Amino acid sequence: MTPFELIEPRTLDEALRLLDPADPGVRPAGGCTALMLMMKAGMLVPTRLVSLRRIEPRYRDIVASDDAITIGANASLASIEHSARVRDELPALARTLRTLANVRVRNVATLGGNLAHADPHMDLPPLLAALDASVQVQGRGSSRYASIEQLISGYYETTLAGDELIVAVRIPKRAARGCAYRKVTTRSADDWPALGIAVALEREGERVRAARVVLGAAVDRPTRLLAAEAALQGTRLDETSARRAADAAADEARPSEDARGSAAYKRELIRVHVRRTLLEAWCDEPVGAVRQ
Amino acid sequence: MSTAQRIIRFTLNGEAIAASVAPHENVVELLQRLGLHGARESCGQGLCGCCTVRVDGLAVSGCLYFAVQLDATCVDTIEQPFGEDGLDEVQQAFAQCGAFQCGFCTPGFVLMSRELLAANPEPSEDEIRHYLSGNLCRCAAYPEIIRAVQLAARMRRARS
Repeated sequence: MTPFELIEPRTLDEALRLLDPADPGVRPAGGCTALMLMMKAGMLVPTRLVSLRRIEPRYRDIVASDDAITIGANASLASIEHSARVRDELPALARTLRTLANVRVRNVATLGGNLAHADPHMDLPPLLAALDASVQVQGRGSSRYASIEQLISGYYETTLAGDELIVAVRIPKRAARGCAYRKVTTRSADDWPALGIAVALEREGERVRAARVVLGAAVDRPTRLLAAEAALQGTRLDETSARRAADAAADEARPSEDARGSAAYKRELIRVHVRRTLLEAWCDEPVGAVRQ
Repeated sequence: MSTAQRIIRFTLNGEAIAASVAPHENVVELLQRLGLHGARESCGQGLCGCCTVRVDGLAVSGCLYFAVQLDATCVDTIEQPFGEDGLDEVQQAFAQCGAFQCGFCTPGFVLMSRELLAANPEPSEDEIRHYLSGNLCRCAAYPEIIRAVQLAARMRRARS
């Protein structure tokens, strides 16, 4: 590994000041797991890493309010997985984390780092997009919110400026929302997935009031499947309507071909797994959520 | 600060130590330099678990952790001694069940099994398989490893 400088500022302000948008060699660092892999592969050769792990502890907090759960960007994936609030109110998120990488990586990797990495194969971006999460981005003297689709702009690309940091992710609570995520691996179980499908359904009585269907891994960024969403609106979710929406998803998706499958094969995977994910999301029972 | 070596101070298996490290060194490289060879880099990608160590009570992959970040932490490795013969229940159970062939992955399996039993004293076979899915044994001693974890769980319960 090429030598570099590693700085551990004690405050977010100091971290923001240490970043230099004019110098691509200066990079922020969260848990450093994905970052070290890229450095080992020679994909990333930073001259200075600004580690965020010693900034104010409040950036690790998981806070519930009446209308949202807000997770600090420095929260480890394990702390989110084990959070009682998350398990009660966002069980699909806790379930998804159980199969994300492994225990050791989850102990170290952070939510902010995961999102800023923008690897298209990751599980959380499509799931958080389905949950309508917004990402709080802090710059020097400025703050903005971005949806996942606004944050992740392409293959390992985000709209973060060189002197901006993710500080929190806000997940709005919704009454009667069921959610599910399916990761489809076509080689070994622990390989990166060929596709990830996230679904969030808001129920109104026995019908779907609003649906979000988000595809990951098979495309260069988390992508909402709008035709599938439209096909679900107002329907009573059952095998037939799930199949119709899954057909719409397979028709509209533009999966890419790679070692994990041809585009045609992934299209069929989308057809099968959108249907299954819809049925799972419909049966999802958030323990603490208000049911109508 | 710079790319030069830095002195870090931390607790290693209960003993306070100081070491000089460069920012690009990982935990496995440092431990090996200190004469501890139980954590070894195998896949180098955090997938296989051979480099498992505990930092402030959390299991991490030593190959994906910068050594400088051990400053002011408590680190436990497989070399940490237990009891009269130096072995805890998990190690005794691994020996008793023959839960290894070449032994290269064993330190990581032992450390992760300890973490599992601390969090879940009576894991089902599915829970053991799931928890240890981030550890690879190329000799495929998995059936014996699972039996060893079950035995260690019984031994721990009998003790407490």
